[in-house]
Amino acid sequence: MAIKVRIPTPLQKLTNGKAEVECAARNITELVDALEKDYPGLKERLSEGGKIRRFINIYVNDEDIRFVNKEETTLKEGDNVSIVPAIAGGC
Amino acid sequence: MLTLSRADFETILQHCLRELPNEACGILAGKSNKVERVYPMRNAKPGPVSYEMDAEEQFRVMKDIRQKGLAMTGIFHSHPSGRAFPSGIDVEKAYWPGTELPNYPDVVYVIVSLMDREKPDVRGYSIKEGTVKEVSLNVLS
Repeated sequence: MAIKVRIPTPLQKLTNGKAEVECAARNITELVDALEKDYPGLKERLSEGGKIRRFINIYVNDEDIRFVNKEETTLKEGDNVSIVPAIAGGC
Repeated sequence: MLTLSRADFETILQHCLRELPNEACGILAGKSNKVERVYPMRNAKPGPVSYEMDAEEQFRVMKDIRQKGLAMTGIFHSHPSGRAFPSGIDVEKAYWPGTELPNYPDVVYVIVSLMDREKPDVRGYSIKEGTVKEVSLNVLS
């Protein structure tokens, strides 16, 4: 199952500069593992203890996985996954 | 240098003033360091010393920017009672946690200080490679 994954700029060093990669997975947990297999180091950047890090927002097509089924959100052929770091700060 | 129109500059200021006493935030989009569009954003963690953009809105806006053939040129937020300089938290949140990899290396972080509400201080910065450098803002008349 080919899933397109949009990679944010800070992680493109791990994907040989690619802004978009493809992989096969049935859910987000499998996607992270598949990305790690092709691009070692990505898993640690994206998750901790099997959970997606809090400051990272992941979308399947236009849906935030937090409002679907989190790491168990299912994927299908042709889905577009976006990994987007949160924008935050404070004084 | 980041160039923006007087109207866009005023849009930023008005959003920051409207959100007082809380911090306000938003995204600037354009081409070649020239702002063409301002997106005032919802602060999902409203408070006088913090902001976090609403994730859904951020995603929609970033998609809209791409579809318009523009790029994200800036991220703005206000410091209601702090100076126009990135705080420790601003700098920390500009990087992917535990790394020195900037999340948005090509943007100018615009900070609006409202310490003097009659005379806001607005400044731009690049936050990358472990340093904070001021970037001049060119507001067209």
